Amino acid sequence: MNLVPALTNPLALATLALIPVGIIVLYFLKLKREPVEVPSTYLWAKTIEDLHVNSLLQRLRRSLLLLLQLLAVFIAFIALLRPGYRGESQGQARTVFLLDNSASMQTVDRNETVSRFEKAKQLILEKIEAMSDSDSAMLISFNDRSETVQAFTTDRARLRDSLERVMITNHSTDILGALKAADGLANPRRSSEIADVKDVQVADAQPADLLIYSDGRFQTVTEFSLGNLKAEYIAIGTSDVENLAVTAFSTERNAERPSEVQAFATIENFGKSSVSTTATLSMNEQFLDAAAVQLDAGEQTGLSFLIETEDAATLSLALDHEDDLEIDNIAYTGLSPLRNVSILVITPGNTPLKVGLETEKTAKICTTSFLSPSYLQTDEYRKRAADGVDDLIIYDTCSPNEMPATNTFFIGALPPPMLVTNSENPNPPPTASESNTAQPTPPTQPPAPAPENSSATVPPVEGSDADAATSPNTIWRWATPESSVSLIDIERTHPLMRYLELFSLLIFSGRGIDGPPGTVELVGADVGAVLAIAPRAGFQDMVLGFEIISRDDDGNPVTNTNWYAERSWPVFLLNVLRHLAGAADVTGAPSYRPGETVRVRLENAITSPTVTRVGGAPVDVTSGPGGTLEIIATEIPGNYRVEDESNLADLYAINLFDPQESAIATVKEIDIGYESVISADTTIDQRQEFWRWALMAMLGLIAAEWWVYSRRVA
Amino acid sequence: MSNRQDTQLLPPSLLGRLERMELVSRKIFRGRLKGERKSKRKGQSVEFHDFRNYVPGDDLRLIDWNLYARLDQLFLKLFQEEEDLHFYALIDASESMNFGTPTKLHVAKQLAAALGYVGLCRADRVSIQALGPMGRQAPALRGRASLWKMLTYLDGVDSGENVSLFDGVKDFALRNSGTGVAVLISDLMDKEGYESALRMLIGRRMDVFVMHVLSPEEIDPPLRGDRRLIDVEDGDSAEITLNHYALQKYQETVKSFIGSIKQFCAKRSIAYLPVSTETPVETIVTKYLRERGVVR
Repeated sequence: MNLVPALTNPLALATLALIPVGIIVLYFLKLKREPVEVPSTYLWAKTIEDLHVNSLLQRLRRSLLLLLQLLAVFIAFIALLRPGYRGESQGQARTVFLLDNSASMQTVDRNETVSRFEKAKQLILEKIEAMSDSDSAMLISFNDRSETVQAFTTDRARLRDSLERVMITNHSTDILGALKAADGLANPRRSSEIADVKDVQVADAQPADLLIYSDGRFQTVTEFSLGNLKAEYIAIGTSDVENLAVTAFSTERNAERPSEVQAFATIENFGKSSVSTTATLSMNEQFLDAAAVQLDAGEQTGLSFLIETEDAATLSLALDHEDDLEIDNIAYTGLSPLRNVSILVITPGNTPLKVGLETEKTAKICTTSFLSPSYLQTDEYRKRAADGVDDLIIYDTCSPNEMPATNTFFIGALPPPMLVTNSENPNPPPTASESNTAQPTPPTQPPAPAPENSSATVPPVEGSDADAATSPNTIWRWATPESSVSLIDIERTHPLMRYLELFSLLIFSGRGIDGPPGTVELVGADVGAVLAIAPRAGFQDMVLGFEIISRDDDGNPVTNTNWYAERSWPVFLLNVLRHLAGAADVTGAPSYRPGETVRVRLENAITSPTVTRVGGAPVDVTSGPGGTLEIIATEIPGNYRVEDESNLADLYAINLFDPQESAIATVKEIDIGYESVISADTTIDQRQEFWRWALMAMLGLIAAEWWVYSRRVA
Repeated sequence: MSNRQDTQLLPPSLLGRLERMELVSRKIFRGRLKGERKSKRKGQSVEFHDFRNYVPGDDLRLIDWNLYARLDQLFLKLFQEEEDLHFYALIDASESMNFGTPTKLHVAKQLAAALGYVGLCRADRVSIQALGPMGRQAPALRGRASLWKMLTYLDGVDSGENVSLFDGVKDFALRNSGTGVAVLISDLMDKEGYESALRMLIGRRMDVFVMHVLSPEEIDPPLRGDRRLIDVEDGDSAEITLNHYALQKYQETVKSFIGSIKQFCAKRSIAYLPVSTETPVETIVTKYLRERGVVR
């Protein structure tokens, strides 16, 4: 038995103690007696005489009403002392509650009616109720991010309110952030470097109990030391679970037959028993196909479905099986629509390019503008490039001053150098002797053919005013002087190179290319890479090392290659439109995890996009610059449609797809730093409050007293 | 007085049974008139009593000539005289008797009427009197035909005669010098005590019966809680907290009170008959009083 007084003020206690005395006094002073006629007081008088002998004691001893009243007051007094039973007393006066609200806590274990999350909340609530007035506590919820819901406080009401505010999420779990948040006061950091003898600790350590309410389904934390935190892991749930989960689900269009789509799914049994069920595939909310799934405990299997559709579609795969965790029983994916892309071609004149971009098939998916290099000097271009209005800009034998905010394709020219600051550049600027190989293409100038009499092994590039801050490793440069080119290899697995047969090409003059880190060689030749692609801050730049149409000394166009006459030329341009300009996404709609911010790049023509969850409500969206859309309302799994005035613009899906969360068997022991924390028995440390029962007993006593009184008066 | 009231006091069914009964006197008294009771006097009845020597002047018709023939002496043959019995029923008509359901006074009147009727049927001299001023108007009755008079008187008896038991009995004793059977029907709750009253009756050499009438509410009061008890006779009040203990104490007092009366009566050859108002009068008279020898 443990008494936690609700009243600590001595004056209040004294007043309380006076109540019974007052009742007794009032009882004797009570003047109102019910008059009743009797035939004679002769015998009563004798009785009263006998009673008067020990009147006071008799009254006290025999008056049931008085006894009941005093007992009621005594019980009320006990109730105010908050009697309770607690198996163990807490070690510290400070407690940090870590509440896991990740997806796995949605599990409703067998023999339970509430989810693990609700159970954890209930246990924390009991702990809060058991706190004494001097105890302080802090509440932190964690999933893939942590949130300090309530800082240290002794106010139990605030803790209760804070606990009430914590909601379950569909997120994955990362406890490290929560541990760091809890760590602050318990393990104060030093003011400066370790091993500094003058260093002093900035604050006194305030040890605390760290109570982790979780199912233990998170990555082992290694980079953390508990220090003054006394960790206790309260395992919520059981290890005897049943959960069948879809851990992957995606679609891919057949490249050769775009109307043919394959959907792949991975089903995994995280339960303790074998499961036999069916998986139902739905397209646009309509039943499409089903497959039987038979899985032993711990096994996984793959499912594939063949779908015929040319249009955009939303797909969902549902397991017709009720288990402990529902969220992973259904998975979503979508088939993105073909996009209409906007292409800007800066060219002094390139008939093969123009013909290739204006074929019947390309005309369906792109809008092309052809402009001369002088357009690069206009403000209109600069604004267009900075806003990323176009999905792809093709620079044919010319180069802009600055790279545009979009994907680029340079033909026979190099992208301008990127500006980086000294602090970010670990390498010194190139020396004069190196500068020959490190000169970028001068801006606005089309690369002129290398001088015939150049003796350098690596031809210098005109306009050698290299930016001192430019790193040779972060810029594009010519690797070889101009020479005839023989193709050696093609990166056939790259989407841009699909269906291409280039070995019959004749290239009269070309140069090898060196790109920045991350460059992928698409076409290799005897002079090195002649077609390469590299990423640039979310965009992609592709550079072709030879021109299609050259200029002779008189400035007349001459063909530099016979590629335009090959069947591969329009195919290559179509690939560029599809994959570099983003017209087609053959891999289907992307999938994100709940809580991740989704960024969708839209056609620039779309001004007021709306996002709707299939079968759900519209989602708030924030339009960013350059046609990007940032969506943060990604909590609920499902297929999401990005629409522009009811026309589908894009698709994406939100799925759990986290085996760590789907494996819901409760972990009995977690590792934090170098310490193992074993699951504590959650039942022994609970405080059982008796004051409510005491109050109920008091009410019962008052009712009994009233009953006795009314019986006497009646 | 209405007939309905008569039947309330003495139901017809009871009247038939009463006619076959007879009042029993444990003593033999001298009567006033010829009756059906043995008297102390020698007289004219057929029942032989004794012989005695002839003295001149005796009635020659009483000489037993057979004895004279055998013994040659004159003896007179004496016979038992039969006279009437004086029966007095004294009803305590104080306010305290007007209590209970039925009231103690009503039960007392029923008992008096029943016993009186028995006496009337046996040619006894019956006098039913309420203690106090009402008693002076009480008629002396004789013969079955006087039933109507008796009931009329009883109907006129009402509570409120708040004279003490002793004063009432004393008044009765002064007015009635004769002896006989006296039945005092009272609750005996007199703050001055009952003893002196009973002593006065014994002093008059009466065969005294005390019928102590109590209602069940007096034996086990249905009262609880804090009460102010008011005496209906003198307005005296007593404040008491009626709990289990107090009631227990009261019952002990009642028991002791009854015990003291019993003891007092036993010492003085007074027949004490406790009567509860919840017992029907038929049962009391035909069974209870018969068992205790009041009637036969």
